Amino acid sequence: MSETKHEADVAFIKALAELLRDNDLTELEVMREYSDDDSLNVRVSRAAPAPVMAAAPTQVAIPAAAPAAAPAAAPVVADDPASHPGAVTSPMVGTVYMQAEPGAPSFISVGAQVSEGDTLLIVEAMKTMNHIHAPKSGTVKRILVDDGAAVEFGTPLVIVE
Amino acid sequence: MKAWPHGYGRRVFEEIDSTLNEAARIALTLAGPEWIMAYHQTAGRGRRGRVWKNPQGNFSSTLVLRPEGAPEQAALRSFVAALALFDAFVAVTGRPDGLSLKWPNDVLLNGGKVAGILLESAGNGNGVTHLAVGIGVNLIAGPPDDILEERATRPVSLLGETGLKVEPEDFLLELALAFDKYETQLRTYGFEPIRTAWLARAAKVGEVITARTATSETVGTFETVDGDGNLVLNTAKGRVSIPAADVYF
Repeated sequence: MSETKHEADVAFIKALAELLRDNDLTELEVMREYSDDDSLNVRVSRAAPAPVMAAAPTQVAIPAAAPAAAPAAAPVVADDPASHPGAVTSPMVGTVYMQAEPGAPSFISVGAQVSEGDTLLIVEAMKTMNHIHAPKSGTVKRILVDDGAAVEFGTPLVIVE
Repeated sequence: MKAWPHGYGRRVFEEIDSTLNEAARIALTLAGPEWIMAYHQTAGRGRRGRVWKNPQGNFSSTLVLRPEGAPEQAALRSFVAALALFDAFVAVTGRPDGLSLKWPNDVLLNGGKVAGILLESAGNGNGVTHLAVGIGVNLIAGPPDDILEERATRPVSLLGETGLKVEPEDFLLELALAFDKYETQLRTYGFEPIRTAWLARAAKVGEVITARTATSETVGTFETVDGDGNLVLNTAKGRVSIPAADVYF
C-alpha cells in the first residue's frame, strides 16, 4: 500500500468516526472497493464498554471519540458519507487544497452558504489544479478532508445540503 | 511559414492581468480550443499562488480546452503540454541538445528551469467544464532571484543558454503545432504513446530523486511513470506511486 493511499484511508476512517459521533450512532461498517482485489473494510464502533476493533486481519479500525450519552436509537442508519445525497466526492486521485494559495482564506467553512458552481476546494494531480464546484446551492454541513490530504477517487470531501 | 493548426483559435494581447484569468473568463463561451497569448502580464501566477514574473520578451500563454472525459484524463494534458514544449524548443533551436523533462511537466534546459506549466480545471464531479493550460517560457530572461524559493530549480533562459532570440509569436506557432500533434495522439491512442514519448525525454530515470508534498517527502529511485501518469518511486519501503508532488533532483 502506498503512503498516499494509507493517508487517504486514515482520512476516510477519521471521517467515518466523526460521522458516527455526530449522528449518535453506535456502530458503522463500510466496505470500499478500489479494484477487484483491493478493498478496505472499516468498522467503527463506540458501543461502550465493548472494545473497538476490526474483525478481519486486513481491516483497519480506529476508535471514535468517547461517547457522550448517546440516545438509544438513532433515527437513520448512516452509511458511507460518499452515499449521502449531499456528498461531493473526489473525481480523481490527488491532493486536497482548501485555499487558492497558502495563506489565503479557505474557500469554505462549515455552516457557510454556497451557490451552485462555487469552488469548494481544489484537488491536484499532476500539476493540474482541479477546482471542485458545488453541484447545488446550499449550506456546507461537513468538511470531511483536511488541507493537504491525499484522496482517492470517490473519497467524500464535503457535504452540502 | 508554417500554417496555424486547424481548429484552434488564437488571441494575442499586448497586456493582460494573466492569460490563465482570461482563460477562466472566456472558457464557457468558446466553441473550440483557443490559445491566449500576452506580451505582458500584470498578474502572472504559478502553482499555489507563486508569482510568475514575466520580463518583456518572455512567453506567456494559456490554451483553453473543453475536453471530454474524467478529470484524471484532463490532467494527462500535463504530459501533452510538456512534450509540446520540448518539441517547440527543438523546433526553434534546431536541436534537442540539453533539453529534458522533469515530472510531470517541467522542461529543463542544461539542467535549469526554462519554462513552467500550470493547469487549472473545473468541474463538479464526473467531467470538467474547462481546462486551462498555462505556459510560461523564459525566452530572454529567468525570474529575478528574490522571488525564487529555497531548493527551486535554477532558472535559465533560452537566450542565455543558446544565444538565440525567439519572438513570442514564433514560439506560439511551434508550441500550438506540437500541442495539436500530441493532443491528437492522446485522443486517438490514449495515454500510452504520450507516456512513452515523455519517458524518452525524461531526466533522472533510474536515479534517486525526492518528491515533496505539503505534508510528506518521499525519496526513491525514479522507476517510471505509470499508465495513469503517477510518478513511481522505488523506496526503502517499496514501490510508491505519487499523483501530486514537487520533484527535486
